[in-house]
Amino acid sequence: MDGLQSWFSYVFDRWDDILEATLQHARLVLIVVVAATVISVSLGIYIERRPTLRNAVLSIAGIFLTIPSLALFALFIPLVGIGNPPAIMALFLYSLLPILRNTVTGLDEVSPAIVESARGMGMNRRQQLVRVRLPLAWPVIMAGVRVSSLLVVGIAAIAVLVGGDGLGSFIQGGLTRLGLPGSVESVWVGTVFIVLLGLVLDIVFSVVQRFTSSPGLRI
Amino acid sequence: MSDRPMIHLDRVTKVYPGSTVPAVEQLTMDISQGEILVLVGPSGCGKSTTLRLINRMIEPSGGHIYFDGEDVTDVDPDLLRRRIGYVIQQIGLFPHHTIGENIATVPKMLGWDKKRITARVDELLDMVGLEPGQYRDRYPRELSGGQAQRIGVARALGADPAVMLMDEPFGAIDPITRDRLQNEFLRLQAELKKTIVFVTHDIDEAIKMGDRIAILGDRSVIRQIDTPERILAYPVDDFVDDFIGSGSTLKGLNFERVSSLDLSDYPTLVEGEDPQRGLQMLDDANREWLLLLDREHKPLRWLRRADVERGGRELRQRGQHIRAEVEPNATLHDTLEEMLNESTGICCVIDNRGRYQGVVEINDLTEVIRKLRAEAKEHYDALEATSV
Amino acid sequence: MSQPTIRLDHSRSTDDDELDLAVTAAQTTTLRSRIVGIWLAPFGILALVAALLLYYTSLDLATANIQQRSALDWSTKLWPQTIEHLTIAFWATLLVIIVAVPLGILLTRPAFRGAAPWVLTVANSGQALPAYGLLILFLILLGQGTGTVIWALALYALLPVLRNTMVGLDQVDRATIEAGRGMGMTKRQALTRIELPLAVPVIIAGVRTATIINIGMATLAFLVGGGGLGITINSGLKLQQNEVLIVGAVMVAIVALTFDWLGAVAERYLKPRGL
Repeated sequence: MDGLQSWFSYVFDRWDDILEATLQHARLVLIVVVAATVISVSLGIYIERRPTLRNAVLSIAGIFLTIPSLALFALFIPLVGIGNPPAIMALFLYSLLPILRNTVTGLDEVSPAIVESARGMGMNRRQQLVRVRLPLAWPVIMAGVRVSSLLVVGIAAIAVLVGGDGLGSFIQGGLTRLGLPGSVESVWVGTVFIVLLGLVLDIVFSVVQRFTSSPGLRI
Repeated sequence: MSDRPMIHLDRVTKVYPGSTVPAVEQLTMDISQGEILVLVGPSGCGKSTTLRLINRMIEPSGGHIYFDGEDVTDVDPDLLRRRIGYVIQQIGLFPHHTIGENIATVPKMLGWDKKRITARVDELLDMVGLEPGQYRDRYPRELSGGQAQRIGVARALGADPAVMLMDEPFGAIDPITRDRLQNEFLRLQAELKKTIVFVTHDIDEAIKMGDRIAILGDRSVIRQIDTPERILAYPVDDFVDDFIGSGSTLKGLNFERVSSLDLSDYPTLVEGEDPQRGLQMLDDANREWLLLLDREHKPLRWLRRADVERGGRELRQRGQHIRAEVEPNATLHDTLEEMLNESTGICCVIDNRGRYQGVVEINDLTEVIRKLRAEAKEHYDALEATSV
Repeated sequence: MSQPTIRLDHSRSTDDDELDLAVTAAQTTTLRSRIVGIWLAPFGILALVAALLLYYTSLDLATANIQQRSALDWSTKLWPQTIEHLTIAFWATLLVIIVAVPLGILLTRPAFRGAAPWVLTVANSGQALPAYGLLILFLILLGQGTGTVIWALALYALLPVLRNTMVGLDQVDRATIEAGRGMGMTKRQALTRIELPLAVPVIIAGVRTATIINIGMATLAFLVGGGGLGITINSGLKLQQNEVLIVGAVMVAIVALTFDWLGAVAERYLKPRGL
């Protein structure tokens, strides 16, 4: 097909730029997801056994997801200026809920009999959490991290609209040069490579999950 | 072994806030070193609560708990629990640890060195009948229910605690495996001599497992606490009687052996002796059946008067074939079983070479029951007299 | 109202592990936390609206420059944009429901069991699809205008709603359906009387998500000539006027939060009793 061929040659020609944009995009996502995991898991552990606080925090985190992305990005501009920072702040808030909710649910679902026997053997709270409850909740938590990262990969496309970088620049480039040669291919590159990046990240995280989970937990 | 009880509960009470009625009320109880005390009672009587008060999984609202003389009511509960083995019905093995790691949990917490831990894990796996090389590195999800509970017991024994608390440990297991596990556990206990508090709702399990049984009523009030034999012989009130249920007398027969009976004389005739003598003995004793023994004094046949007087075949081919024979170490329960199979209703007692020792009849059994009951009553009357 | 699903042990003990254990053992929703859940949102929204009004009136537009004044004019800019925004979101959501729910039902029928896992895999990895990219691609395809935005958003929100519909129908206990068929229900009756009602919570959750996504992505409609509140936000960006930016962004947020709350209320009332 002609169109496909021209697309592939476009990709081939601009490979360096595409790679650079992909790495920028990946960097954005990873910074956000790692930070969100650390904060969400800690917060999740804290609120898991405090029902009212738990519902309040989960509601608030959920509220962030309802705020449209461009709006949230824009709201951070007065605070941190334009470029990547407002995007990172907003993306961070988006990525909290899936991980937070999964941390809470994962810890909840650990069988009470197991926790009872851990406690009955003389483990204090910290030991119960670190040696028993977290390892058993880990697969669920990692599932949340994966959902989060896919979410962030997609939304990060808009970072360019507030002055940031990433693969969104190819989409924007295509838009501004609409009608000129290469514009359609540019938009396709942006879109396709973002989806591909999402797939790659998902695979990476599932490998990480496999290596950090106990063999005893695999069905 | 000291006289001091291993575990002493002194007026322990548990009241849940918002509730006016205590779940456990002023419970005072002693558990001696090396014994299995079974807490048994109807649902909701608080037996699990009582058990969990001992290792402070539930904190008492009042009273004191003594552990080998030491008051442990206010010590750090986590440290206390590392000195007690705890086995629960759903077992609670850690699925993300290997079986070996599961068993090593408490020793690791106590800081044992690696070599000691490995040796101990293998020792325990051996003790519960699972080959260490095969099972040490497997995961709990690969185990059957019976195997899993064996590991649960092994894990509880990890740091060699003096005391074990077991909350319906065999409740979730099928009856055949349960029977086997109970027997294995009793064998283990004969070797290890731990102090064990065991909770069950099944009176038969209590009778089988317990050195002493505590029958608990509402608010964990002790209705009767005694050896199984005495409780079966003499339930102190209707509550206990109802709880034990029907068949308690039969069950009580499990605890007596033929060897404890005084075997009285019975008309016997040795082959070759003059049959008239045998008939004479029958008349003197006013009995229907004569026991024929061979020259080595092994029981051969049951003969009626008519069988003896009638001519024809040899004596040993007349009369009734003998079905019921027991040795002195047999329980009276098994003896009764044998008796019911014998049309004469009489069970022969033989020694290990098969030679006649005596007979057991239904009278002997009712006499035993009567005696046990009388002894138990005496015991309780004496107790009442001293406490008044 | 509801009662806690397990009797909580509120004993005041030195070892509060007891309490924790009782709490952890049940996914309990006490009366208190449920109330907090439903009413937190409207309070938040009203607070936000109040804050916005305060901010707006404090801006002293009479003395501001003409671009700012024009951008923030209620009747010519802000209100029409809000209407455009809602129109786009409404049609896109409607389109999604009409396509995704029947498709989801179809894909969970025995005849299509084989295709289902593949579709789900695509739906899952499609989470990374950038709405922005999709929008521009549709621009290339269909040209400018509101219609373009609606089609693009419909496609974007299709996957989540499809996934939720399929998952929601899948998780209905087979035994319940079996009981229905055993009583003589036809397959269609089993679907409409058992499967769908029981799958409703999950499906509605998906529709809620779709609505929110659509309101959110409608912010980008301005890029393809579709109108919407994104125009205000973009003006603020271009003019480097933070005030315009903030007003635009907060207005979108208010619209989104309001619809999310309406969705939560709808979910509560549409859920079959007894679930």
